[in-house]
Amino acid sequence: MPGPGNGIDALAGIRVVECGDMVAAPFAAKQLADLGAEVIKIEPLGRGDAARHRGPFAGTVDPERSGLFLYLNTNKHGIAVDLERPEGREILRRLARDADLVIHDVAPARIEACGLDDAALRAENPRLVVTSISPFGLGGPNRDRRMHDLNLWAAGGVASLNGGGPGSEDMPPLKGFGQQAGFQAGLNAAVASLGALYASLGSGEGQLVEVSMQECLTSILEMAYEFYPYMGLTASRLGHKPIQPLDFLECKDGWIFICCVEEHQWQRFVELAGSPEWATMELFENRLTRAANWDALQIFLGEYAAEQTVEELYHAAQARRIPFAPVSTMGDLLGSEHLKSRGFFATVDDGRGGEVVIPGAPYRHSATPWRIRKRAPRLGEDTDRVLAPLGYEPGEIARLRASGVIG
Amino acid sequence: MSAARKPLEGIRVADFTWVWAGPFCSLQLAHLGAEVVRVESASRTCVTRLLPPWPDGQPGVNRSGYFNQYNQGKRSLTLNLKDPQAMEVARDLIRASDIVVENFAAGVFERMGLGYEACRALRPDIVMISLSGYGAAGSGPESEYVSYGPAQVPLSGFSSLTGYRGWRPMHIGISYGDPTAGLEGAAAVLAALIHRRRTGEGQYIDLSQWESTMALLPEGILSQTMTGEAPERDGNRDPVWAPHAIYRCAGEDRWVSIVTASDEEWRALARAIDPSLAGDARFATAELRKHNEDALDATIGVWCATRSPEEVTTILQATGVAAFTAMNAKDLHDDAHLGSRDYFVELPHPEIGTRRHMGIPYRLHGTPLRVWRAAPCLGQDTDYVLREVLGYADDRIAGLREAGALT
Repeated sequence: MPGPGNGIDALAGIRVVECGDMVAAPFAAKQLADLGAEVIKIEPLGRGDAARHRGPFAGTVDPERSGLFLYLNTNKHGIAVDLERPEGREILRRLARDADLVIHDVAPARIEACGLDDAALRAENPRLVVTSISPFGLGGPNRDRRMHDLNLWAAGGVASLNGGGPGSEDMPPLKGFGQQAGFQAGLNAAVASLGALYASLGSGEGQLVEVSMQECLTSILEMAYEFYPYMGLTASRLGHKPIQPLDFLECKDGWIFICCVEEHQWQRFVELAGSPEWATMELFENRLTRAANWDALQIFLGEYAAEQTVEELYHAAQARRIPFAPVSTMGDLLGSEHLKSRGFFATVDDGRGGEVVIPGAPYRHSATPWRIRKRAPRLGEDTDRVLAPLGYEPGEIARLRASGVIG
Repeated sequence: MSAARKPLEGIRVADFTWVWAGPFCSLQLAHLGAEVVRVESASRTCVTRLLPPWPDGQPGVNRSGYFNQYNQGKRSLTLNLKDPQAMEVARDLIRASDIVVENFAAGVFERMGLGYEACRALRPDIVMISLSGYGAAGSGPESEYVSYGPAQVPLSGFSSLTGYRGWRPMHIGISYGDPTAGLEGAAAVLAALIHRRRTGEGQYIDLSQWESTMALLPEGILSQTMTGEAPERDGNRDPVWAPHAIYRCAGEDRWVSIVTASDEEWRALARAIDPSLAGDARFATAELRKHNEDALDATIGVWCATRSPEEVTTILQATGVAAFTAMNAKDLHDDAHLGSRDYFVELPHPEIGTRRHMGIPYRLHGTPLRVWRAAPCLGQDTDYVLREVLGYADDRIAGLREAGALT
């Protein structure tokens, strides 16, 4: 296998300018930065990226120590620029002249005012890729609607698939934890941007890449959407599961997810449970009847699980090739021997003299592994260093700072 | 603008994936223009070919909406990999390919004689990715554990953070780890292709589906590492912003999402509901709205309950408030915005006619992407691949078929 060689990064030398807020564009650019791209992140003066104010915080609120921001902005350089001022847009224009990719999640109605018009930027740099992430894309009747992450999760059709199941009509469609619409958009934007960058390596031609956050979510509805065009059925969070067991059970010390999709998995589980008498009941003879009679089966299984510990049941099931999983707590993940052995978590400087443990990237490239080269930037930390090579003299930089164009 | 070659035109993918994660990875590569050859077998049919929805409720390996959604624009080659002659075909396919994608359980592909070293011997600059549940064999104590999509969500930590307040851990509505891993994998492959283009060097990528989902959980994981505590399950609520909820509307199981992330948005919402609400001291600041969130939700809930979600969306969006219907499959199908964007894919299919599928959520304006064909029937392209891609003579193909190698 090629050694993790020579310290060469997959995306070394690729220059990215990010105008991102919260999750979508910052996460897209982070993936590129972690693989070696040189990312310059532009933030507004004063407040900076909204993720700086989200936390989690260790103790007091500190925009330089927001967990979400520290994670999403590893390996980036940070500058603070007011893009709504002409001198600010001029800085962006000069940066884009030497860049391979500009990636942003600025609302469509504000793109031009922020100097992010792709045609103008590409006129000076034909190889430039400009990626725009927005709630509904750059065209269509919903283009300018205001959306936060939860609204997008609803608009993309994911929320309506999740809830308490049969009998919980009064409980609303339920989101997944965190800012997941932003993460999904960031994943799609990374794929699309890398595709366009790959093309530009060959053709020398950049282009506009447009990502619709709503569409990103509609593209991951598993089979739920297709039930409508194929069968006229509308999937609902209130439906019964067609097969069981495929559910959560409470053990002595936490929760486990039990999963017997195939008959052999069920048989091995029954053995593991000591072949109790209830397992021979006709009600539970196959996965369909186990689902139809889940109310009854759940009671027996619940009594069994209540006597077990999560770890013991998980490993005992897996030793028999039964795909159970613990309902991992955050503490479980951080303590996992498996994840330690794979070196998943990374430790980064928190910019205040401390350290913070963050999730790593989920892949290991044999020749060009991702790595942390740099902690997330403080607001405006690299402004002077980035502006100097663009032709800004120290006096000019001081004047721009004094007049509130840069920070 | 240059000739509109898709970014990955001329790139071939030997696709040994199944179920959802792997096929979703290779789907992105197909979207970007690669020729993706899915190696399938009638004796080990992809699970998604066996699952509903089927038109008219009539099953069939070519009729599943689940398969047909996630295999658009790919080719299907059937090989019985237990037959040494079929293995030789597989090796020829790898020789003719730039990328190998596989998502068997860790170690299985290697035991079939197609591990990275074997693939590299066939094609020295191959880029190969394995998307396994726990990461490559030998990389950690649980690496050979069995992984199913629904169990990945609890394993990753998502379920412990997702759910109504006071309820058990819950799911997210889809096997979220699968598409997430697929997108991460596609980005990892594209970065490796860029590296290959610049250095001539291929490589192996070890992706863990478990880790791919954790990469989307920084707010949970960093709460633990920075504060020593994980967030509690709290339904649709947000740690900072309120209101942040999905409210019941008039009609059968109709819901709308509403979020305000600033005082300005809150005042607009309050004025739209009841002018006196804007002056209500209980809700005057973000902190107070969060503190009095139950009362806030009750007030907004009463207003929504007599209106349709579309009406709520129209009224609130007109004043700059983020509100949107919790869309179900029918809503998405009939959505005027998505319809106006040429997003849906409706291509003829020999067994199911023309059905609507979700399309490509990113648009490359310089090198437009378009799904060129509906998902393949099982083995639809076997002759094409053997003849046109591998250059086999007709009598050799007939001999392979005779010997049962092509099933």
